[in-house]
Amino acid sequence: MKSASFLLMSTIFLFPLVSLAATDYPFTVENCGVKETFSHAPSRVVTIGQHETELMLVLGLDKKITGTAVWFGALPEELKQQGKSLKRLAENAPGFEAVAAQRPELVLAQYSWHIGPQGEVGTRQQFEQLGIKTWISPADCKAKTVTATSNGDGARSEPYSIDSIFDEITAMARIFDVAERGEALKHKLSERIEAVQKRDRIKGSSPLKVVYWFSSARLKGDPWVAGNKGAPGWISQTLGLSNIIDSDEEWPSVTWEYIVRAQPDIIVIADMDRRLYPADDVETKKRFLETDPVTREIPAVRQGHIAVVPAMSLNPSLRNVEAAELIGQQIHAFDQAR
Amino acid sequence: MKKHAALYWRNGLIIFAGVLSLPVMIVLAASVGDMPVSFATTAQAITNGLGITCIDVPAVEAGIIWQYRMSRAVMAACSGGGLALCGLVLQSLLRNPLADPYLLGISAGASTGAVCVMLLGIGSGAITTGAGAFTGACVAFSLIVVLSGGMRENASRIILAGIAGTQLFNALTSYIVSTAANAEQSRGVMFWLLGSLSGVRWTDAMLSLVVVAVGLLIVICYARSLDTFNVGTDVSATLGTRVMLVRTILLLTTALITAVIVSAIGAVGFVGLVIPHITRIIAGHRHLITIPVAFLAGGHFMILADLISRTLISHQVLPIGVVTALVGAPVFVLILYRNREK
Repeated sequence: MKSASFLLMSTIFLFPLVSLAATDYPFTVENCGVKETFSHAPSRVVTIGQHETELMLVLGLDKKITGTAVWFGALPEELKQQGKSLKRLAENAPGFEAVAAQRPELVLAQYSWHIGPQGEVGTRQQFEQLGIKTWISPADCKAKTVTATSNGDGARSEPYSIDSIFDEITAMARIFDVAERGEALKHKLSERIEAVQKRDRIKGSSPLKVVYWFSSARLKGDPWVAGNKGAPGWISQTLGLSNIIDSDEEWPSVTWEYIVRAQPDIIVIADMDRRLYPADDVETKKRFLETDPVTREIPAVRQGHIAVVPAMSLNPSLRNVEAAELIGQQIHAFDQAR
Repeated sequence: MKKHAALYWRNGLIIFAGVLSLPVMIVLAASVGDMPVSFATTAQAITNGLGITCIDVPAVEAGIIWQYRMSRAVMAACSGGGLALCGLVLQSLLRNPLADPYLLGISAGASTGAVCVMLLGIGSGAITTGAGAFTGACVAFSLIVVLSGGMRENASRIILAGIAGTQLFNALTSYIVSTAANAEQSRGVMFWLLGSLSGVRWTDAMLSLVVVAVGLLIVICYARSLDTFNVGTDVSATLGTRVMLVRTILLLTTALITAVIVSAIGAVGFVGLVIPHITRIIAGHRHLITIPVAFLAGGHFMILADLISRTLISHQVLPIGVVTALVGAPVFVLILYRNREK
């Protein structure tokens, strides 16, 4: 009897009851400085940004998606089946009317530049006037803006952490009244993060130096690499790596000279479907690193320590965990090959 | 007469000083960068690269100095000189102070060509983006010639045609970028619309060097004809200039120089427009003098602009077009103001 009541008590304390309870409508939530009140769980949703689309799918809310836009690449294997009949309004930013025509109750955006104050698709007020509620991923508005000295990708005043994504999961789960699924998802992600840290976190006094190369405007020109406060910052921290680029900017462009001087031990390169710039292709990036008379002297290149991850996993999203896992595995493989 | 002689001496001295200081500027530009390299190593890497010496220099330093910085500085000198030369020729030829390659839409055409190759995969693999830019520049140039009704008398028509062409090509570039690109965050503004010297290597620099040098020679050969164009085509015809032939040769030369430069570094405005004006203020109107002076001034200006673009914000490089205009515009305004009564 005693053990049974102990079990009951620990269950109560371990699982916060608040988030497991059914959502009490009207439910009000604060998002990027805007308060949205939901009288019921929205049934028609448009997603602008692949992260939002994937989040809806993982939460089992695919039936509610009436349109999607801003695709970066293929869905991950486990979501492919679920997402195969999703309607694509546009690969890129859709028009305001294309979104409105879906008669959504809620529009989810991954980036503020799509529905923020200068939104490419529209502003939140514009949607509000049509009675459409909006949501922007907190990871993109929390302590992040385009500053006077940053490029269009913006800069962060505080480092990003996966907690922003966890907060978003919690909020989404409550808006759609699927609290248990939200908790289960967070639990699963936490387990994966813990496992990565246990298995792949680099121990020792001097951490390995890493640089994340996204792409370059021209192949031999200055590359766009990850600053230290975005998602790659969190990934580095999780794996115990040290990012050689000490910048608040999300994706600053720096010179190869600077990178060579910092002598990175590992280069992480982004794999993407986009073919806007010559350096978008992974193979092209690798070939450049190995043949350029200067970059081929970088320790990471000499030792073949080049890790490849999907581009999307390097921007704040559910996939950051996947990036940490993939980089961890590849570093492991480098170690074994030595 | 005495005044004329003094002027010749002064201009001769300017050209002589410019010819001497340009290589010095190139070497100075090559000694500045993110990676600190001692001046001795820099000098050794350069002499090694030139094939004069065979000193043991660490591979990274040698690569950075010779492959990255020297090629870049030479490219800067060539492109600045080449664009200034094109501007000077176009302004005289069309008797319009607004004429420059940027304004005539040649740069915009090159951007469209490059973007077509990159995004639509036209001639996939067989054509590089540089070749695409070159083709685009030539197409833009032909279009402008057609639009302006051949190369007939009315020189302002060619400027109007250029402006229309620029709008058309920029719209095409934006159209292709916004519809054909996959959504992985298109960062900043397209490189081809802003211009950048980053990523220039010896193949680009040598091609530009050869083309610009040949162009410079051709233009110098026609310096006297250009003098007569300033007065008007009727006068130049009576003075014995074969107007149509000279015009065609010179326009083709400027188109070629611009195309080669734009395909290597993107569209850089301002240099072609302003350097010729500054040159005329300094060195008068005789083309035998203004051609080398404009070339040297453009080269120096571009090397300086590139140095500023690399050092203004540490570890980052500003687009060169931003610097040329930011630095150049106030200087130009100042010169215009100080010469308002002359």
